[in-house]
Amino acid sequence: MYELPTSQFPSPRSRFSPSPRLLPWLIVGVVLLYGVLYPNLHVVIASLQSDAGWSLANYRQVLSQSIVLESIFASVGVSILTVLFCAAVGVPLAFLFERYAFPARRLFATLAALPLVLPPLVGTIAFIFLFGESGILARFAQSIFGLENSPWSLRGWPALLFFHTYTMYPFFYMLTGAGLRRIDASLAEAAQSLGAGRLRVLARVVLPQLTPSLIAAALLTFMTSMASFSAPLLFGGSVRVLTLEIYTARQRGDAGVAVTETVILALISLSALVVFQRYEGTRKFAASALKGATKKRQAITGGRARALAIAGGVIFSLILVLPVATLVLVSFASEGQWTVQTLPPSYTVANYAKIFSDPRASEVFLNSLSMSAIAAGAALVWSFCVAAVMARKGGRNWKRVLSWLILVPWALPGTVVAVSIAEAYGQTSPLLGSFILVGTFWILPVVYFLRFMPLVVRALQASMEQLDAALEEAASSLGARWWRRLTRVTLPLVWPGAVAGTLLAFVIALGEYVASVLIFVPNNRPVSIAIASELREFNLGTAAAYGVVLMLIIGIIMMVATRLERSRA
Amino acid sequence: MRVKAYLLFLAICVSALLVSCNRAGGPPARRLLIYTPHGQDLLRDFIARYKAIHSEVEVQFLDMGSREILERVRAERNRPQADLWWGAAHTTFQTAADENLLAPYRPTWADSVPKSSRDTQDRWFGTYQTPEVIVYNSDAVKPEDAPKDWDDVLDPKWRNKILIRNPNPSDSMRAIFGAMIWRFYKDTGSPDQGYDWLRRLDANVHEYTADGTLLMQKLVRREGVVSLWNLPDVWIYKEQKGFPIGYVFATSGTPVITDGIAIVRGGANEEEAKRFYEFVTTPDNLTLAAKKYYRIPVRTDLDRSQLPPWMNERVNEMPLDWDLLRKQSSDWLRYWDTEIRGRSKK
Repeated sequence: MYELPTSQFPSPRSRFSPSPRLLPWLIVGVVLLYGVLYPNLHVVIASLQSDAGWSLANYRQVLSQSIVLESIFASVGVSILTVLFCAAVGVPLAFLFERYAFPARRLFATLAALPLVLPPLVGTIAFIFLFGESGILARFAQSIFGLENSPWSLRGWPALLFFHTYTMYPFFYMLTGAGLRRIDASLAEAAQSLGAGRLRVLARVVLPQLTPSLIAAALLTFMTSMASFSAPLLFGGSVRVLTLEIYTARQRGDAGVAVTETVILALISLSALVVFQRYEGTRKFAASALKGATKKRQAITGGRARALAIAGGVIFSLILVLPVATLVLVSFASEGQWTVQTLPPSYTVANYAKIFSDPRASEVFLNSLSMSAIAAGAALVWSFCVAAVMARKGGRNWKRVLSWLILVPWALPGTVVAVSIAEAYGQTSPLLGSFILVGTFWILPVVYFLRFMPLVVRALQASMEQLDAALEEAASSLGARWWRRLTRVTLPLVWPGAVAGTLLAFVIALGEYVASVLIFVPNNRPVSIAIASELREFNLGTAAAYGVVLMLIIGIIMMVATRLERSRA
Repeated sequence: MRVKAYLLFLAICVSALLVSCNRAGGPPARRLLIYTPHGQDLLRDFIARYKAIHSEVEVQFLDMGSREILERVRAERNRPQADLWWGAAHTTFQTAADENLLAPYRPTWADSVPKSSRDTQDRWFGTYQTPEVIVYNSDAVKPEDAPKDWDDVLDPKWRNKILIRNPNPSDSMRAIFGAMIWRFYKDTGSPDQGYDWLRRLDANVHEYTADGTLLMQKLVRREGVVSLWNLPDVWIYKEQKGFPIGYVFATSGTPVITDGIAIVRGGANEEEAKRFYEFVTTPDNLTLAAKKYYRIPVRTDLDRSQLPPWMNERVNEMPLDWDLLRKQSSDWLRYWDTEIRGRSKK
C-alpha cells in the first residue's frame, strides 16, 4: 500500500530546502509560553493565595473535607472504569470493521462514529428522553408488561458509565482503527506460520504493535472522563465527582476552593500521563519496516459467523442510532403534547421552519464551522511541529515536560481555560508581550485550538511511534532532503492517525459550549450558544432541530473526509 | 488524490478566513453591547423598537444565563466588553456591585420602585418581579389536592413525587431554600430548624434536576408531580406551550425576587447604555413585556389594568432579609450539599 516513491525526478523544491531545525522549536516554544504557561500560571498562583498571602491553606482546607476526598475517588474510579469499558467496546469494533468483510460493513463502520456527532446539550437530553425513567424505552416496557412505575431510573454509577462509554468509546474505535491500518501483516503471518495460534498472535504480535494507539486512546478517555461535567450533573444522581464540586464551589462563590480543586483535578489527569508514559517506554514496537502490505480484510463467509456478525452489527448500530433518532423525534414533536405517551402524539415542522426562516441561524453554523476548521487546521500543523521537536535525539526530560505541558489545556475544565485566556489577554502589558484577544473574533478559535490540539498531537504521536526510524534513515541515505523525506516517507505513514485526530478535534470543537459561553462575541456566536439559548427559552424542540442540522452537517463532512481518505489510500 | 485533499483543506481555511474578515467592517458611530438572559425574542423585539427611534445605533446582545454573565463580567474586568447588563436576580447584581463591576446610574423613574428593589448606591435597579410558587402537574393532581403551603410539600403522601431544580446555579431555588431557612432563622438565629425542613423535603424529593427545562419536562412526563418554581416561567409553559401545569401561592407567604438592570463599569458606550436602560423601562415597554413576555413590572406607577389579570393577583410577599440571605446562603447551601442532599431517605 505504501510504496516508496519511484519517481526519478527530484522535485526542484528539495534542492534548496531551508533548515527546518529552528522553526518547529520556535513555534512550539511560543505557543506553549503564550497559550499554556502564561495564562495558567495565575490559576496556580490563585490556588496558593489566601487571606494571609502565600500559603497552602486552600489545599489544607480542601483536602480535609471528606466530601472532596470522596469526589476525588469517585472521579478516578469513574474514569478508570470508563477507560476499561470504552476499550472493551471500541477495540473489538475496530477489529471487526477493519479486519473482516461482511455485508453492510461500511454502513456499520460509519455508524460506529455516530456518538461523536451527538450535539452538545441536546444530545444528553435526547439520551434522557430515550433511556430515562419517563423515556421511550421505559414507557415501552411499561406498556408491554403493564407496569405501574418505570422499571428503571437513569441515575447513579451505571447510568454515568453507560453514558460515558457511549460518548467516549470513539476515541478507542478511531485510534485503534487508524493503528490497525498501519500494521504490517507480515509479522502476524510470520508468527502464524511458525505455529502460533490466533490468540497468541493477537496477544504477542498485533496488540503490542497497537500499544501506542491504545495508550493514546486510554489517555484521552481518562482525561475526558475526569473533566466530564454534564454527564455527572444529569445522570450522576448521588455520585459526586470533582468537576461537580468545582461547579458548586464556583456557584457558591468560593473562588479559592474552586481554583484549588481545579489544580488538583488537573494534577490527577496529568499524572495519568506519567503512568502511561512509563508503560509506553517498556513496550515500544516499531511496525517493522512495513515491507509487506497491511492485512487484507478477511471475508466472513461461514453462514453462522456471517449471521452473527450482521446481527451484532445491527443490534449495536441500533443502540448507537436510537439517541440520534430520539433527537430527531424531539425536534418534530409538538410542544406540550408528549407527556405520558410512549411516542409523541402529534408532530410539527415548526421548529425547522423557525430555523430556516431566521437568517441569523445560518450565521451560527457558518461561525462554528469556520472557527472549528481554523482551530483543527492549526492543530494539525502544530502537531507536526511538536512531532518534529520530539523526533530530535536526546533531551528526554525536556520532552517529558513538553508532552506534559501540551496536555494541560485538555486536563483543565473548559471554563478554566476560557477564564484564564480572558484574564491574560484582556489587557496589554508590553512587558510580557501580551496582546488583546478579548472581544475579538479570534479568541474562540484560539481557545478551541488550545483545548483540542492535544487530541491531534496524541493521535499523531501514536502514529509516529509505530513508525520505523529505519525508513527515514534509508531515505536519508538515498539522498532525500528533509522535505522530501517528510512528504514522501513520513507523511503517508502517519497521515491516517493525524487525520483521525484532526477530524475528532474539528467535530468536538463544533459543539464546544462551556468555554465558548464565557468568551464569544456577537460576530462569532457559535451554534452551541444558539442551542443553549433556545433551551433557556424552553424551546426544546427548536434546540433539538439545531442539533439535528448540526449533525447533518457533521455527517456530510465526515463522509467527504472518509471518501477522500479512502480514494487516497 | 493527496493533492486534492490538501487543496480542499486549504480551501476550507481560506474560506474560513474570508468569512471572518468579512465581518470586521468599519465601526458605526454609535454602538451598544448588552449581556442578557432575557431571550432572543424579547431582545430582538426591543432592539427593533429602539432602532426605529435611533436608527444610527448598532445594538448587539449576547444571550447567556445570569450566572454566566457574572463570571464573564468578572473575567473581563480589565477590559469590559459589555455596556449594559440586563437581567439577573438582585442578589447577583448586589454581588457584582460589591465587586465593583457596576457603575451607578439613577434612572428618571428611580422613585417609582420600592426601596427593596433598588441598590442604595444606584448601581442596579429592579425591572421585573419573580414570585416563587408551588407548581403541580394538573393532569395528575387535582387543584384541591395540591399543596397549599410550603409545609404541605413535606407531607409523606408526596414521597418520591417532588422534583426540585438543583439550587446551586438557580436564583429561584436559592431564594426558596434561603426563604425556608430564614423562616426559622429570624426567630432562632440558627439555621438548624431550616436544615430539618430541607431534610424532610429531601426525603420526598424524587430527583434534583439539572436545569429548569428538564424540571418542566419531567414534571409533565410525571417523573414527579409537584415542584417549586417561579411564576413567570410557569405562565410561559402554561399559556405558550400548553403544558398541563397549575400553581399555588403558598398561604404563609411568597418569596419575590427582583430582576434588575445595570450599567457595566468601564463600558465603552455608557451614554448609549443609559439611553437603552431608560427605553426598556418606560411604562409602555414594561406593559408590552408584561403582555407579550410574561415579565411582571416592578414600577408602581403603571396602569395595572393594562397588565394580564394574573399579574394583579394579590401576592402575600414574604418579608426576607436579602442581604443576610445572600451572605449566608453559600454556607447554607454548602451544608445542604454535603449533609442533606440525597441522604434523608429512610
